[in-house]
Amino acid sequence: MGRLFVVNLEGKVYSCKHCKTHLGLCEDIVSKSFHCRHGKAYLFSKVVNVTTGEKEDRLMMTGLHTVADIFCVGCGSIVGWKYEMAHEKSQKYKEGKSVLERFKVSGPDGSNYWISHGRHVGGSDADDV
Amino acid sequence: MGGVEDDEPASKRMKLSSEALIHLSNGSTVKESIVGSSRDLMARPLQSDGGEEVVGSKGVIKKVEFVRIIAKALYSLGYIRSGAHLEEESGIALHSSIINVFMRQVLEGDWDESVATLHNIGLTDEMIIKSASFLILEQKFFEFLDEEKVMDALKTLRTEISPLCINHGRVRELSLSIVSPSHCFTVRSPKQNTSRARSRTKLLEELQKLLPPTVMVPERRLEHLVEQALGLQRDACMFHNSLDEEISLFADHQCARDQIPSYALQVDANGISLKHKLSGHQKPVSSVSWSPDDHQLLTCGVEEVVRRWDASSGECLSVYEKAGLGMVSCGWSPDGKWIFSGVNDKSISLWELDGRELECWKGQHTLKISDLEITSDGKQIISICRETAILLLDREAKVERFIEEDQTITSFSLSRDNRFLLVNLLNQEIHLWSIEDDLKLVSKYRGHKRTRFIIRSCFGGLEQAFVASGSEDSLVYIWHRGTGELIEALPGHSGAVNCVSWNPTNPHMLASASDDRTIRIWGLNNLSAKQKDTHGNGIHYCNGGT
Repeated sequence: MGRLFVVNLEGKVYSCKHCKTHLGLCEDIVSKSFHCRHGKAYLFSKVVNVTTGEKEDRLMMTGLHTVADIFCVGCGSIVGWKYEMAHEKSQKYKEGKSVLERFKVSGPDGSNYWISHGRHVGGSDADDV
Repeated sequence: MGGVEDDEPASKRMKLSSEALIHLSNGSTVKESIVGSSRDLMARPLQSDGGEEVVGSKGVIKKVEFVRIIAKALYSLGYIRSGAHLEEESGIALHSSIINVFMRQVLEGDWDESVATLHNIGLTDEMIIKSASFLILEQKFFEFLDEEKVMDALKTLRTEISPLCINHGRVRELSLSIVSPSHCFTVRSPKQNTSRARSRTKLLEELQKLLPPTVMVPERRLEHLVEQALGLQRDACMFHNSLDEEISLFADHQCARDQIPSYALQVDANGISLKHKLSGHQKPVSSVSWSPDDHQLLTCGVEEVVRRWDASSGECLSVYEKAGLGMVSCGWSPDGKWIFSGVNDKSISLWELDGRELECWKGQHTLKISDLEITSDGKQIISICRETAILLLDREAKVERFIEEDQTITSFSLSRDNRFLLVNLLNQEIHLWSIEDDLKLVSKYRGHKRTRFIIRSCFGGLEQAFVASGSEDSLVYIWHRGTGELIEALPGHSGAVNCVSWNPTNPHMLASASDDRTIRIWGLNNLSAKQKDTHGNGIHYCNGGT
């Protein structure tokens, strides 16, 4: 394989669970109250070392959004999604920001998140209160 | 030059209107006070024998100017009779009669008369008259000194040169050369504006540079215009890649595509064989660099040590390391006497070959993923110091300059003449920066693909007229550097092309390295097309595993 280009972050870093590639900084977290199929998810204002998939329209908990899945450049695993466009005015603040699924990343202290069984999360997305 | 007799029979020339006004191209006007006779003749502007005022299909060439520079060219070539005949036949004089008189006076050394004529030419700029007078009188002064007529020279200096009240420094120098003859010798040195022993022809050339070009047509003007046109044709030729392409005046220059390497060459299997396996690194080798004398190699492991090898024996000569830290890049000084490397604490270190550390720049100087280059004069070290900035560090002057981009920088490449930097960005653009004096963005190149890997690009071809790059879509991209146009996208590799290298001495050869584990050599079509071998993911840089 060629030589991967990776950006190295400094500070409290969230990295890919599988290959430890840096993905986002703690200080860039906008909201921790997002959800995905696998449980909790965080909205980041900026993520690095990801590639973006195809744009598509998805009906999420808060309405219709145009999103694209994002993948870790190191191992290619899907780590979340990026909001390209929000169709409802109240959701516009999400545009350009990305969600990282807590299940797919290791926290700054190396901690991981495990899906709690039995608790079924309704869908993806959430609002900021 | 000059020498046209203005004693031509009046019948050959046209009668004049009482006041002929000529509008010069630089906006000022030369007013000829002509007293109705046909004696004082001027290059007649627009009231000619009903002929057109302009020539050429675009209507931008004034006929009078055109004929005058042709006449000047004929005289320069030595065709005096032809030049005179042209002036006569066209009715357009190269120089007005007063200028001809002036030139003759200068060449014959009639200094006082020539200064008087100068005032009669009708120049509106006082400074020009003064400067020209100064030059003439200076010549008079020096010729007196040559003839040992010191008192005459002194008188000229006092009563004629000084009152002009310009160029006081020069006046002082002149007075010095009376007092001290040895100074005179230094004044007589072959430097341009202090040479005294110059000929009167040289003086005339100096005067011509002072006077407006319409008054005295500049030397070799037609040749200059033609050379300018040829230069523009050459620059516009996007495929220009051969020295022996002669540019003819008969047709516009345009090369065919066939000078750009675009065919995979067959490489003789006997020509390439594995010579040594250099073992010793514990981590993947991220960069390889040849010494300036081509006898040694410098290699760097990813956040590991730097090793120096003898290329012929394969022996490891030195290991460079820093306790607790890892190296991320390496390079040679242009004289081969020291090496430098980026360290993963963002500093850059300089080492003697024997391992002694010479210098260390701490602080934000380089990144873990950064390239590291040095200019061929050894003065500037270049590295990516922040996500969106490149640092150009002048070692001696201790000056730091920064190229700032909007996007993340992935890699860069320095041109051989140290004047340009090719910067690869995260968003699949390649930016060309001029780094000589001011840092300036010159061009952008687009078309290739980059999403995950470090893709490298380089300059190449005759006078580095092209930019080549790898791409994740397995094509080799080539752009014309000047126009930014994409010339070629060469298929052949079956995996991402990680880097390219254009042969520095052969503008017709290009090499590319790919994830398909091959290196391709590209050349011109007159060689059979089949490809070669050996493993590798990089030419200058071995990316990935051993």
